[in-house]
Amino acid sequence: MRRASPLARAERRFAYALLAPAVIAVAGLIAWPMYLIVSISFREGRSLNFLALRSRPLGLGNYRVVLGDPATWHSVLVSLVYTAGTLAPAFLIGLATALLLNQSFPLRRWLRSAMLLPWAVPGVMVSVVFLWMFDASFGVVNYLLRVTGIATSDIAWYSTESTALFAVIVPTIWKAYPFFTLTLLAAMQSIPGHLYEAAEVDGATAWQRFANVTWPGIRGPAVLALVLNGLWTFREFDIIYAATGGGPAKATETLGLRAYNEAFGYFYMGRAAVIGVLMLALALCAVLLARRALRKEFFR
Amino acid sequence: MTPRRPRYALTAVAVALAVVLLFPLYWMIVTAVSPTADVLSREPALVPAWSRLDGAAFATVLARKPLLTWLANSVAVTLGATALSLVIAALAGYSLSRFRTPLQQWTGFTLLLTKMLPGSLIVIPFFIMASTFHLIDSLFALMLANAAVGVPFATWLLKGFFDGIPRELEQAAMLDGCDHLGAFVRIVVPLARPGLAACAIYLAILSWSDFVFARTLINDQSRWTITTGLVSFIGEHGVDWPALMAAGVISLAPMVVLFVLLEPFLVSGMTAGSQR
Repeated sequence: MRRASPLARAERRFAYALLAPAVIAVAGLIAWPMYLIVSISFREGRSLNFLALRSRPLGLGNYRVVLGDPATWHSVLVSLVYTAGTLAPAFLIGLATALLLNQSFPLRRWLRSAMLLPWAVPGVMVSVVFLWMFDASFGVVNYLLRVTGIATSDIAWYSTESTALFAVIVPTIWKAYPFFTLTLLAAMQSIPGHLYEAAEVDGATAWQRFANVTWPGIRGPAVLALVLNGLWTFREFDIIYAATGGGPAKATETLGLRAYNEAFGYFYMGRAAVIGVLMLALALCAVLLARRALRKEFFR
Repeated sequence: MTPRRPRYALTAVAVALAVVLLFPLYWMIVTAVSPTADVLSREPALVPAWSRLDGAAFATVLARKPLLTWLANSVAVTLGATALSLVIAALAGYSLSRFRTPLQQWTGFTLLLTKMLPGSLIVIPFFIMASTFHLIDSLFALMLANAAVGVPFATWLLKGFFDGIPRELEQAAMLDGCDHLGAFVRIVVPLARPGLAACAIYLAILSWSDFVFARTLINDQSRWTITTGLVSFIGEHGVDWPALMAAGVISLAPMVVLFVLLEPFLVSGMTAGSQR
């Protein structure tokens, strides 16, 4: 077809008109920030004024400083431990709750709401609640550990270097698991019931039903949820910021925290931008690794 | 198959699990309604005696902090941002579902890209834009920022939902003289209500939870949102835990009510979205 008919052209215009607001939002949210971050990453020096950054000299100095700083690679490690430490338990809790909620039993609707509820709690609020529960002197966690004899002395969870990362991972798991519950439950409910009946007729055990019917049905959404939640955790900021601000002694300083501290703490916008570029590169690597599995979910 | 008897054993398991998972929220409420002397105890009662409970912490926090103002700001920003991004996402999702455009292949990738930059960096361009247009301290700017963040995922979710609605329905309406937009508004939107509700709750949670934008774009304390307000408690010397937890309960209440009411749409909306 060399020329589109007037009708097809009208359709095309309509299709683009509907998309336009979203394209503008995405351009403002992604394209422009990314351009800005890449361009700021080449501006050297520090500035209190964002708008004055453009008159600073261009150069690779920020990259030299940031990539040559062991603290950066420490932050990469912290970010990876934080992400993996959150994803694995959150996925298991999400899978267990989804399997349970996929059964029918009295009060299921209310228990489902209850189990999904942590998702609706703002990150800083989650942080505040766990800050109190993990309080060194009066926290309920230390109390329970003392009562059960697991610990004999109080642990200052958030101000001890060896425990701080664990203590920010726990609230992150708590906020992250409902997303798995939700996506896995939704996927399970779209598996046709007759597959289970057939499996039952064949005398399949509960494990065989899970491995041969449930898992194949939820694998795609599970991978997608892992990637989305993984990216979310990798760049999580609110929970750590409110709990520790990255301390003590950088023990919980993920890349997101480090970027914020460089930008709004020391006003090294360029260095913060380099960290942003680094985060993008790492996230892209992760997505490329998962692209086979994602292709089916996304690009249908 | 014979109809099964109600499975109370599963209910018991689920209740036990919910008790463990929701303990942090329970503990927040218990702390909020206990007197300070009981809270700052080396041996706190896991189930406090009914007679010990009081609402003093609520009175304190409401008297000392402009909590209701912050709540009102959060509600305004959340309502505005949710409505705006829901409209944008519905239009875009519908277009992606019904028409082939070169932009189609980019939707999934775009969705992932939005999840890659941390909020602490996305906020920099928003800060520059807000400074340029003198919109620092403007709840409107905050609303726009929050609206933009939700659009990609909401679009993707709604596209899946629209895919499940047969085209024949709109085509019939168009034969009856509706234009395409009219057919969309009158036929497709009512059918997509569960999906729209699912999206609305997702978007509302996103805006209500926002901290980075509010923290960076708003300086004036009377225009803070509830999240910035809550964090301001922590910096103080000797945190007043009952007051902070009371503030937490107050700030969480509207979201919990909304969530429990709309949650069935979330599950059914996501389920329909994944059935293609």
